[in-house]
Amino acid sequence: MKPFEYKAVHSIEEACSALAEYGSDAHILAGGTDLLIELRKQNIRTPKVVVDISFIKELRGIESINGTINLKPLATHTQLLQSSILHQYASLLSSAASVIGSPQIRNRGTIGGNIMNAATCADTVPPLIALGAKITLKLKSGSRQLDLSDLFIKPYQTKAKPEELLTEISFLKLSPNAKSSFIKLGRRNALAISRLSVAAILFFNEKGIITEARIVPGAALPIWRRVTEAEQIMIGEIPSTELFKTAGQKVSEVMISHTGRRWSTEYKEPVIATLVRRALEQCV
Amino acid sequence: MNNQSISTTINGRKFTFDVYPNQTLLHFLREELGLTGTKCGCEIGECGACTVLLNGEAVNSCLVIVPQIDRKEILTVEGLAKDGKLHPLQESFMNHDAVHCGFCTPGMLMSAKALLDKNPDPEEKEIRTAISGNLCRCTGYIQIIEAVRDVANKA
Ligand SMILES: Cc1cc2nc3c(=O)[nH]c(=O)nc-3n(C[C@H](O)[C@H](O)[C@H](O)COP(=O)(O)OP(=O)(O)OC[C@H]3O[C@@H](n4cnc5c(N)ncnc54)[C@H](O)[C@@H]3O)c2cc1C
Ligand code: FES
Ligand code: FES
Repeated sequence: MKPFEYKAVHSIEEACSALAEYGSDAHILAGGTDLLIELRKQNIRTPKVVVDISFIKELRGIESINGTINLKPLATHTQLLQSSILHQYASLLSSAASVIGSPQIRNRGTIGGNIMNAATCADTVPPLIALGAKITLKLKSGSRQLDLSDLFIKPYQTKAKPEELLTEISFLKLSPNAKSSFIKLGRRNALAISRLSVAAILFFNEKGIITEARIVPGAALPIWRRVTEAEQIMIGEIPSTELFKTAGQKVSEVMISHTGRRWSTEYKEPVIATLVRRALEQCV
Repeated sequence: MNNQSISTTINGRKFTFDVYPNQTLLHFLREELGLTGTKCGCEIGECGACTVLLNGEAVNSCLVIVPQIDRKEILTVEGLAKDGKLHPLQESFMNHDAVHCGFCTPGMLMSAKALLDKNPDPEEKEIRTAISGNLCRCTGYIQIIEAVRDVANKA
């Protein structure tokens, strides 16, 4: 590892001051499961200063306030998957956390790092976008809130400034008439094509008719988004395999309209359609 | 590069060190403290050979930089035996032939210890999950799972 300055910060205020002082020379360290791999690469531009936020107590925890869930960025994947609040009100997020890496990675890796690293295969991002999550980014002077779906420019690139600290991720609890699921195919570091995933939520009325649908595929589109084209097909319908197949095919079409046909399409096209169908079936 | 002064507990002993920040916990344990029981495999979080317990949780020491252990407790494989007596997991690994070349063993033991400390009577599925971040190229895992199961049964 090349040398760098190291600064441990113990409060949000101290973190924001340090980030303001060092600007783009600084790099935030949380659990380190992405950053350490980067720091060890020979040919990258090593940050001059590593600002370690892992000691900040106010950035830890999972809160439930009335109808809203607030996740602090240092919540680890282990904490997400063990959280009874998430099990009850956002089970697709606990499912996603439970299939990340290994126990060791889940014990260190944080939700904040997962989001801000913005890797195509970031598993918590599709569920969070399906949940309509908003994030808070904090500067030394002030803060802003934005929809998580507006954060990303392209893989590994976000609209956050180097001086901004992610301090909160919040979303509304899913109501009891909603069912959700997350499915992921393949492991990280297997071939890139096998990192496909799908987050899905279906809302039903008392007659069992679908009133709202949300589908967010992972690693299929250039940037994460809900596939409203497929969601709309299901509204007002009774769940059925046929319906879910049609929705899956639509997601596949949308994917191809974005990415064009390339070497991996032959594989991805049927696979994403099937994953969507299975994810939807798990919502019934 | 700025040195950092840290205090930490390693295998039950309190220490204060001056450390360079650009060193992983793995290298620090092996090179500076001579605790070479913790193994260095892939160094990218994939193999689990470097697993140690940080405040009781299994972590890859190759993905932690030393200043991050300030005021934390580390347990390595060297800290398992007490008063010259092997830990029940170590005995059980020997009895079940769960150690072949032995390279994965320290990491496996630490992952298994993290599990049993939280869940003294795990199901097989839970044992498999607990060691899913530890690769073994020799045993085929079955002996390891049985070794852990046996300690749980006797507890
Ligand atoms: C072996 C292995 C397997 C993995 N498997 C998976 C997997 O299956 N699925 C998956 O999604 N990921 C996986 N990962 C990636 C990684 O573990 C996750 O992305 C993790 O959540 C990153 O969190 P962290 O706290 O470790 O991030 P860090 O490495 O500390 O930080 C990552 C990035 O986010 C920035 N950052 C962190 N916190 C903040 C904040 N609060 N505000 C602003 N910026 C911030 C950092 O500056 C850095 O650029 C794997 C990694 C490894 C090594
Ligand atoms: S050496 Fe740390 S996981 Fe392989
Ligand atoms: S015993 Fe050789 S790698 Fe496990």
